[in-house]
Amino acid sequence: MAPLDTPMPRSQSMSMASVFERYGLLVFLVALMTVAALASPTFLRPANLVNVLTIAAPLGMVVVGQTFVILVRGLDLSVASLMATVAVLATAFKATTNEAIPMIFIAAIALSAVVGLVNGWLVAKRNVSPFLATLAMMIILQGIRFAYTGGAPISTLPPGMGFLASGRIFGVPVNLITLAFLAIAFGIVLHRSRLGREIFMVGSNPKAAFLNGVAPDRVVILCYVICSVCAGIGGLFLLGYVGTVSNWVGQGYELDSIVAAVMGGVALTGGRGNIFAALLGVAVLVVINNLVLLLGFPIEMQLIIKGVIIIGAAAFYRTRLA
Amino acid sequence: MSAITVDLRRNRLMLSYLIVAVLLVVLAVAGGLLSDRFLTWRNIGNLFQQLIVLGMVSLGQTFVVLMGGIDLAIGSLVGALTVFLANFLEWRPDLVWLALPLALVAATAVGALNGLLTVVLRVHPLIVTLGMSSIIFGATLMYRKEPGGSVPRAFADIAYAKVGGIPFSAVVLVVIFALAGLWLQRTRTGRSIYFVGGDREAARLNGLPVDRIVVLAYALSGLCAGIAAIFLTARTGVGDPRIGAALTLQSVTPVVVGGTILAGGRGGVLGTFLGVLLVTMLNSLLNFVNVSSYYQWVIQGLIIIIAVGIHTTRRR
Repeated sequence: MAPLDTPMPRSQSMSMASVFERYGLLVFLVALMTVAALASPTFLRPANLVNVLTIAAPLGMVVVGQTFVILVRGLDLSVASLMATVAVLATAFKATTNEAIPMIFIAAIALSAVVGLVNGWLVAKRNVSPFLATLAMMIILQGIRFAYTGGAPISTLPPGMGFLASGRIFGVPVNLITLAFLAIAFGIVLHRSRLGREIFMVGSNPKAAFLNGVAPDRVVILCYVICSVCAGIGGLFLLGYVGTVSNWVGQGYELDSIVAAVMGGVALTGGRGNIFAALLGVAVLVVINNLVLLLGFPIEMQLIIKGVIIIGAAAFYRTRLA
Repeated sequence: MSAITVDLRRNRLMLSYLIVAVLLVVLAVAGGLLSDRFLTWRNIGNLFQQLIVLGMVSLGQTFVVLMGGIDLAIGSLVGALTVFLANFLEWRPDLVWLALPLALVAATAVGALNGLLTVVLRVHPLIVTLGMSSIIFGATLMYRKEPGGSVPRAFADIAYAKVGGIPFSAVVLVVIFALAGLWLQRTRTGRSIYFVGGDREAARLNGLPVDRIVVLAYALSGLCAGIAAIFLTARTGVGDPRIGAALTLQSVTPVVVGGTILAGGRGGVLGTFLGVLLVTMLNSLLNFVNVSSYYQWVIQGLIIIIAVGIHTTRRR
């Protein structure tokens, strides 16, 4: 009885499926980019591309985390609220020098971990549906945040935060490098480690996982913690990019992160998905948003297209792989 | 055996109702002690006047949740309808008789579309209705970005009218809830909503037209959103695309507080009604004692968690 050490046949067929998903989406992305390039000469300019990627990075960080939660049959609606709360926390240091940045990161990650722990505890131990647990968390964080700021925007930030969010090293945005680092680290955890296999097992069949000596509750809680920590880090990078905390930093990221993950083939029923495919979903989403602007359509059209895409993508993966 | 479990379930629901009812009394007493204006007829009248919007969207959500789904498009739909109503009535104030049925039909159609999409595409309702919400909101914003429009005086009156001292909107709400409760309990179609929510496969095997019942539940939710939008537009006098944004999630709270299980098949409209009363009364009381709306959010979140903790033992 050492099923965890030997790859199961099911996981092989899953990887076949995810390979298909990855390339299917890649073709879609290339097609989109071709359309964008044809529609507007601005699109393929390095400045525009780097700009698009800089905007995409914080969302990508959230999606890395959201993927973990969706894999264990959950979802996290509190990510956007957490991003804004972390942003408020970062300004609470009232720091003007860069020495405070490590402290800010430690505090943000600690707060995020606690939030994730509570979410995970409610879902795993108290059997609260993920929707309700994270919804309640979203409202609670929102209340605490507003109670602290009184609703006013704050902009006291160490200058280094801006560099992290929109600066570049050898022309590559720093936040993109950070995203790559996060994605590879968590990608290894998810797709190459024992813990990752446990996550897939719990997501596809909690009972079987339990019978195989995995503690589903612990795995689920861990996934929520990972999700919140990723969202917290994403919040810090988004904050640096925006520059001021408006109490609503990150609004809409809960929906966008789920859209991206679903587009990337992460199944809401759990147990199936790939971090890098989910990140391709992010790329598709931001290219579409960019395309809407380049074509001169009203920005509201992004909302309509996003809605159509999420329903369409979910339907597509359902019929392909059900 | 099955009779016993059914009985236990019913008792469980009764227990939920009892808890909420006791909490209501506690709140009323606390309100009376904390402020001598809280238990006046005037304030109770105000309170009842506020019930209709939250009450209707929560009722709509109850149908969908009982059937085993969830409707996250409610808020956007209400916002879109207020924009339609206020702009239409500004253009032709004399056509109230046409505007209202149009709004209700449109709302029902959008709801039915939600249901159809979940049935045809076999996609999780969370995704379908979130997507629809985004589409409706975007479309509304493309038409009107800012609040605008106006309503004729006669139309505005329905929000404030009174019947024998009781707010007209409260009477409408109670009648609709009573009809909804009777329909769910006493008719074959109504009961089949519970059946589909409890076990969709079993319902299908028993020959129920499951797909039609799913579409019906979402259509009813749309209709309820339409009624809510009519009263909301009458009260505010403008159409605001963003006014519904908070309503989507607010519509879930009373349902859950009232003991309806998010997984479907268990619960009822009486619980939702008590939940709406509780949430409205609590907010009113918190306003009376000057608790900032920020802390009201915190409290709302805690209520959801506590309510779920009390009512559910099962994993969704």
